[in-house]
Amino acid sequence: MLKNETCIVCPNGCDLSVEIQDGKVLSVSGNRCKRGVTWVKQEVTDPHRVVTSSVVVRGGVMPLCSVRTSDPVPKDRIPDVMAVIRTIVRDAPVSAGDVLVTDLLGLGVSLIATRNVPRNKQ
Amino acid sequence: MSEMRDVVVIGGGPAGLACAVALFRLGVKDVLLLEREPQLGGILRQCIHDGFGLGRFHQALSGPEYAQRFIDQMVSLGVPYETDATVTEVTPERLVTFASPSGIRKIQARTVVFAMGCRERTRGALAIPGERPSGVYTAGTAQAYVNLYNRMVGKDVVILGSGDIGLIMARRLTLEGAHVKAVYEILPHPSGLKRNIHQCLDDYGIPLYLSRTVTDIHGASRLTGVTVSKVDERLQPIAGTEEEVSCDTLILSVGLIPETELEQDAGIPLDPHTKGAVVDEHLESRTPGFFSCGNVLHVHDLVDNVSDEAERTAQSVKRFLEGTLEQGMIPVTGGEGVSVVVPQMISGRDPVTFSLRVRKEMGPCTLSVRQQGKAVFSKALPKALPAEMVVATVPPGVFAPVGDVEVMVSC
Amino acid sequence: MSASFDVLVIGGGVIGSAVARELSRYRLSLAVVEQNLDVCNETSGRNTGVCHGGFAYDTGSWKAKLCVQGNQMMGDLSEELGFDFRRSGKVLVGNTPAERASLEKTREQGIRNGVQGLEMIDSERLHRMIPGVIGQFALYSPQSGIIDPFGYTIALAENAAWNGVLYFFAHPATEAHFHNGIWTVIAGGEEFRSRWVVNASGIGYRAVSDMLGFPPYHVVYSKDDYIILDDRLGKDVPMPIYTVPSNTYMGIHVTPTTDGNLLLGPTAENTGDNRYYGVEKKNIDALVQNAMAIWPHFTKADFIRTYSGILAKWADENGVIQDFRMEVKNHAVNLVGMESPGLTASVPIARHVIALMEEEEKFPENPSFCPERPKPLQFREMSDQEREEAIRKDPRWGKLVCRCRKVSQAEILQAIDNPLGVHTMTGIKYRTHTMMGRCQGGYCQMAIEQMVEQETGEKPQDVRYCREGSWMFTGKVREAGR
Repeated sequence: MLKNETCIVCPNGCDLSVEIQDGKVLSVSGNRCKRGVTWVKQEVTDPHRVVTSSVVVRGGVMPLCSVRTSDPVPKDRIPDVMAVIRTIVRDAPVSAGDVLVTDLLGLGVSLIATRNVPRNKQ
Repeated sequence: MSEMRDVVVIGGGPAGLACAVALFRLGVKDVLLLEREPQLGGILRQCIHDGFGLGRFHQALSGPEYAQRFIDQMVSLGVPYETDATVTEVTPERLVTFASPSGIRKIQARTVVFAMGCRERTRGALAIPGERPSGVYTAGTAQAYVNLYNRMVGKDVVILGSGDIGLIMARRLTLEGAHVKAVYEILPHPSGLKRNIHQCLDDYGIPLYLSRTVTDIHGASRLTGVTVSKVDERLQPIAGTEEEVSCDTLILSVGLIPETELEQDAGIPLDPHTKGAVVDEHLESRTPGFFSCGNVLHVHDLVDNVSDEAERTAQSVKRFLEGTLEQGMIPVTGGEGVSVVVPQMISGRDPVTFSLRVRKEMGPCTLSVRQQGKAVFSKALPKALPAEMVVATVPPGVFAPVGDVEVMVSC
Repeated sequence: MSASFDVLVIGGGVIGSAVARELSRYRLSLAVVEQNLDVCNETSGRNTGVCHGGFAYDTGSWKAKLCVQGNQMMGDLSEELGFDFRRSGKVLVGNTPAERASLEKTREQGIRNGVQGLEMIDSERLHRMIPGVIGQFALYSPQSGIIDPFGYTIALAENAAWNGVLYFFAHPATEAHFHNGIWTVIAGGEEFRSRWVVNASGIGYRAVSDMLGFPPYHVVYSKDDYIILDDRLGKDVPMPIYTVPSNTYMGIHVTPTTDGNLLLGPTAENTGDNRYYGVEKKNIDALVQNAMAIWPHFTKADFIRTYSGILAKWADENGVIQDFRMEVKNHAVNLVGMESPGLTASVPIARHVIALMEEEEKFPENPSFCPERPKPLQFREMSDQEREEAIRKDPRWGKLVCRCRKVSQAEILQAIDNPLGVHTMTGIKYRTHTMMGRCQGGYCQMAIEQMVEQETGEKPQDVRYCREGSWMFTGKVREAGR
């Protein structure tokens, strides 16, 4: 079976054609570098996604801190990741890069804050 | 009783930040950046999704992280800036007035950089017929509510417009428990990046219907539903194709408009195609001393290009202050295959970075630049999509000092 | 709850609030019951905002008499109550001999009605006044003007409230009984007893008139659709441009607002439904086409918004629209057919209502009546020096929340803290003119909504946009957060 994917590793966005049979990748074409091959093999067999969302911050200049997973997680685990994210409450200050959860769901991926939320002076 | 500054940068989003930081690094230190929000970062503050900085930092950062890279430099370099500062007036003589909780200040600037970004096209601007209930939000407003203000805008959602912001919100709202019923797009092709169609719609089973638009809105208090119609090749609704879709939230992702009000007040000529200022390759407007970069100049899709453009602007501002900048007088137009192109004027002496959008999706094609009908530059492109700005730099020494220039993309 | 009053006014729009304010000149206990959550949600907030000269109405009619009076007093009234009014003048443009004859007849009627300064002007004079207009000649009415209808209605209501009138919002009147000289009115599920009742319910006048025991009136609802254009265009149209009226409707207008926007409209179409305010595509197209015939200097890129209003008129069995009718029976004052020029004539109408009431009962004066309502301070109207001083006293004057209209945080807080206790988003909109610019609240509404929550203590899911049921949010994204 032939699958078409647009690579997202860099802005080139190569249009890749993947020959896949019985869940195994037979060939990849259309790529201009090796990173695309690695990415598309993962994408057609076991797609992964970076999850971006928000967590509650108490006592900060804003009510939420944006977060993201440090690496992509399996797509079908996104609902579980969201369930963890919804439980997180931190106290300000939070800094971009702070690790909020070290090993999300045992996937070897951490949850990191992506913005600074200083303490509210009032 | 006004102060003097070499440069006033209006806007502390990605364009303003990159420009101010670059100016400082180039030795232009008499800079003041003015930002109307309480924090720097501009629109990136609410773009919590990833994909920013693939070109510049070789990482897929979220919007706030990308902004933080520049904010950290602003702080470490000590670049002067004010937040909660709203510019109320810019005169043609470059007197900038702004209001902040500290008072009213007037600054006589030797140069002004406009970096105010865009506002969103509204339901009213499109004159979508029907009632005017609550529950109709432009995508950016919904994004701000959800990401910055912690307010959930609705439960059963319809999205009009398949531009990136609408696609991003489709995913965001779904992950926060809303039911996004469909995305409707008036064009026969999606407006946003393929990766977003894939990761925001396909991943969540949200259908995308092309050649459709919303032709009626229902609800006396809160939205109860919309009427969706098919459109013809002139994008006009086709009678008899109406379909009722019940929903309590309508998200509109129907275009960004450069927020050029201050430029208009200062008398800066605008380009009706881009809706932003007419500039030359130095990003200088037709009025000397006024520069424009970022979304207020033309709508970008990659923030990396915004930073590049802002840094080129900083170099031009420095040359202006040194008295070595001359205005471009050769007109540039978009020819075959091109819908918009910036800059709209060039001097012919300096390298030119053309930023343009093609009219329709193209496979392998060629960008060619002609002066007075003669081909002077060409670049092969593996593909070109309207949703992705095409950027190409022409080295110096290519252009003659006179002769109209045309930029085309053809297969 | 059961409360007793001397006078109960049903309807808090421009006429109801004008009546309430006039009544507050007397020592009376007064209440207004209003079906909506604010005072200008129906016809009072959905019109062309014109202060009519009074020439368009039959000589001797109430519309003519009260309109001319209202027009004459509007300048002083706007100073007294602190709302925007500009005596801009108005032109009715024509091109054909038949139109000239019609305009001359209108002028003669205006003179008979007591309107000052009406004159026929030629093309040269017309184009000196409005360079871009299409027209060969015009009837010029220098006394006509433009009003901010929201500001006016709110000012009347706030002054009435200041002088002791109680406003009950979300209190639609559903029943009324007259027994032993006392009216019992059920409104919003509560019982109101009063000696007098005034039907000022405008859009709902027929239902209330029936409740008060008056004979059935033939009501005709006329729906008016409008397009609002960007305020950059306002400087090119210094006064309303009308076409030649017929006796069924005024014709398409191009009208500047006191904010500098342009209104195209209205279309006017009879409708059976006095609830539906949706604007139809065919009307939008008709407005553009008709406006282009008198002032073609706009494109779709200038559209800000569409809106509509409904006028509840009184017609005879042949559908001929009747004059205002103001009558009394059993201490109920009935206001019938209060359509245009109801906005202009509102205070004279109110004074006539008092006069009708005083034929039966003399009201003692209220010595502490205060007619003035100071105009709320507005950043955009202040000089740089005034702004600097305001900011020094309260830094929130320097924090601009609405960029399109230059509205500061201090003004928004001032508006949220309004004497009527209105807390809807449109309530803030009408009081500050935020969310009315080209971004339509795209930039500012989030901060404004946050302020409403903070000042009122309302939960996110309880904040209303305009009407009951117009919720903004299902709740917070993260419940544990602010």
